[in-house]
Amino acid sequence: MCLLVVAMVVAMASLSLAQTPEVTGKAGGTLRAVFSSDPPTLDPAHATDLTSSAVIRQVFDALLELDEQLRIVPALARSSTVSPDQRVYTFQLRGGVRFHNGRELKAADVKYSFERAAKGKRPWVFEKISGAHAFISGSVGDIAGIRLVDDLTVELRLDQPFAPFLFLIAYDAASIVPREEVDKQGTGFASHPVGTGAFRFVSWRRDDQVVLERFPEHFRGPALLDRVVFRIIPAEITRYNEYVTGQLDVTDIPTGRCRAVQADSRLKGEAAVWPTLGTHGLRFNVERPPFGDARVRRAVAHAVDPSIIVQRLLEGCVLPAKGVIPPSLPGFSPDVKRLPLDRERARKLLADAGFPGGRGLPPIAFNFNTSDLNQRIAEVLQAQLKEIGIQLELRRLDWAAHIKLVDEGSAGFFRQGWIADYPDPENFLTVLFHSRNAGAAGNTSRYRNPKLDRLFDEADAMPSGPARYKRYAEAEQIVLNDAVWISLYHYTSRALIKPYVKGFERSAQSSAPEFLAPLRKVWLDR
Amino acid sequence: MAGSLSDDAAAGLLADLGRPVVGRLVALVPVLFGITLLVFLLNAIALGDPARAAMGQRADPEALERLRHEYALDRPLPVQYARWIARLMRGDLGRSFREQRPVLDVLAERAPATIRLALAATVISIVLGMGIGALAAARPGSALDHTLMAVAVLGISTPVFWLGMMLSLVFAVTLDWLPVSGYGEGNWAHLVLPALTLGALHTGTVARMMRSSLLEVIRQDYISAARAKGLSEMSVLGKHALRNALIPVVTVIGIGLADLLVGAPLTETVFAWPGLGRLLVAAVGQRDLPVVMGAVLVFALVYVLGNLLVDLAYLAIDPRLRDGRAS
Repeated sequence: MCLLVVAMVVAMASLSLAQTPEVTGKAGGTLRAVFSSDPPTLDPAHATDLTSSAVIRQVFDALLELDEQLRIVPALARSSTVSPDQRVYTFQLRGGVRFHNGRELKAADVKYSFERAAKGKRPWVFEKISGAHAFISGSVGDIAGIRLVDDLTVELRLDQPFAPFLFLIAYDAASIVPREEVDKQGTGFASHPVGTGAFRFVSWRRDDQVVLERFPEHFRGPALLDRVVFRIIPAEITRYNEYVTGQLDVTDIPTGRCRAVQADSRLKGEAAVWPTLGTHGLRFNVERPPFGDARVRRAVAHAVDPSIIVQRLLEGCVLPAKGVIPPSLPGFSPDVKRLPLDRERARKLLADAGFPGGRGLPPIAFNFNTSDLNQRIAEVLQAQLKEIGIQLELRRLDWAAHIKLVDEGSAGFFRQGWIADYPDPENFLTVLFHSRNAGAAGNTSRYRNPKLDRLFDEADAMPSGPARYKRYAEAEQIVLNDAVWISLYHYTSRALIKPYVKGFERSAQSSAPEFLAPLRKVWLDR
Repeated sequence: MAGSLSDDAAAGLLADLGRPVVGRLVALVPVLFGITLLVFLLNAIALGDPARAAMGQRADPEALERLRHEYALDRPLPVQYARWIARLMRGDLGRSFREQRPVLDVLAERAPATIRLALAATVISIVLGMGIGALAAARPGSALDHTLMAVAVLGISTPVFWLGMMLSLVFAVTLDWLPVSGYGEGNWAHLVLPALTLGALHTGTVARMMRSSLLEVIRQDYISAARAKGLSEMSVLGKHALRNALIPVVTVIGIGLADLLVGAPLTETVFAWPGLGRLLVAAVGQRDLPVVMGAVLVFALVYVLGNLLVDLAYLAIDPRLRDGRAS
């Protein structure tokens, strides 16, 4: 049996994993970071938000992780191999890794953690593993595609190849938890997490602060910081004031103050803006008239000028968008183009659709979730669409109400932002536009295009590379030409970081104030 | 002999107080029942699905169904409400959808911060409000009177959010005298700005009421008699006028509880104060119905019990009311 395994592993194509450089710097001190809201949970199986993830990534480890360039690097897994048919992944775990409770990590913890999380709030992370669907629906007792080869080797079998699979394994939903702690604490595990991470949990005063401390026995060696304190401050102006008075070491730049902060001599060199993996867009529900008619959608796309939003409302501190996929995402194609601003063309399209000058077209409701920025964007859109005769009625609702309208298909024209869970075009395009995801699963446009589905199905299974990205680019152009989605801008992270904070990763996944940067690399030079 | 008389008086006072207390507590039951029903119905009518709100950007339909079942949202509304009431009878407020913990624990964790803030704000509004009102009444029509009343009106009309930010900017950012925000380790320095902000609104109301009430009492014959006896103005105002002027002021203080409850979420947000107000706002946003119901129940209880205390205070302040009830 052992020989067979060795033979298989040798036969498999080895996946090269980038090596993480050594971390050096001055040890000691407390990093004072901040969140805009209380994390709902610290349990990786139940988290769905960035705030929770920001803590989870410090307290837990996954088998793999992403480095600053978004490359997959080893974490709890020392190495990873994939079979030639791209369906079987084998992970060799590091020996001697300890949980915060002192117990050594074993392969069984991986199986337990994956099966537990598969029944949590992000089952889609595990659904590619053979037998996951049957397990999640409760018809079988375990996920057949997870096999423990030995104490430190886990094999994951997929139903079909899925190129971004390793990104899923590096995702925080796939963090490894110790079964005995979950059994002992029950739901209390969500507020007293125990992982293998570089920092262990100390305390959490709800709506006030979360405190972590260095875990000296971390498998990479102890982190440099003694402690991390995440303050919870909902008002962005308060966060800014705390930063200015020296009570926070990192925070976000308040909305509308991007240029002012960059020009402020007291904050010289402390403001940082970098691109992240998100896009702010407008969507149509193609099942609701008049948006079933592509001419109406295209008319809107030709009439919208995002440069006003980018330059005036957002002070040029975001990236103008040409397509759906942000430039920082691998697979971004500079050749993809949005429909250009052309109001004459927009008027003609509207007339061709039977609404010359907007006549006969009832006022269109534009739905967006409550925020000052969204309100101002909506007002700009209202003014721009008026120029071609479209009357826009603004419908501002809180997030829960907004998402319900969008999910159930009641909203015809609405605002939607998307931030990639992992850096792969599949997580943007397939999720947002594949017909099998119609509705709450991501394709809120309810757009069904067999050609698009075919391109996605092919690309999702192909190994990463130009041929795969070409298919996504083709699909993206179809989406834009059909005006199912109108991109306004790509998100950036706008942060203030004290000059003495060193080693703070500014990866495209790290977005202020809920940075997802691995804080084990951070040190304080003071 | 004197001792027995005193005991009789105390017993009489207790009997006088006991009746309204029992009456009010009995009346509380339908009020609270009505409030919970109203909140439940409003939540049912309001758009939004707690399970969907908990799922983030990407909601797996099967996971959504599982969560709805877990939250018992797949049951008919009357059944959901009946179950909530049945649990309430056993002292159980249910489990928070968002935090997956008993609502009682969730509320108990945040209540001390709000109680501390509300008490400090109340003390500030009473002390400052009565002081400002009495000073203004002592020199009616003077420049001091006009100035103090202008300050009182400013206090009433200034939005809590704006006032909080300004106080923070001046005393924390510019002067660096006090912390910008947070609960700290429970030290007083962190309490000052939030309490001043929350108390300001009510301070103005108390000051205005104190002034007008004192001025009315000052015009009474017995005050003129006191002055004619040669008592000092301080003694006339402090000993004779103030006590009689207090009843309307106490009413305003009781009503002011509503101001505190309204102002708490905003104040707690500006100063990152970990109290019930912020919890309620977040729970409404997440459609965390058990927490919303629990928090509203607590706020309603505070409001009703606060008004009960006001009634009791009338009896303590004005012996005529006790006599009237006894006769």
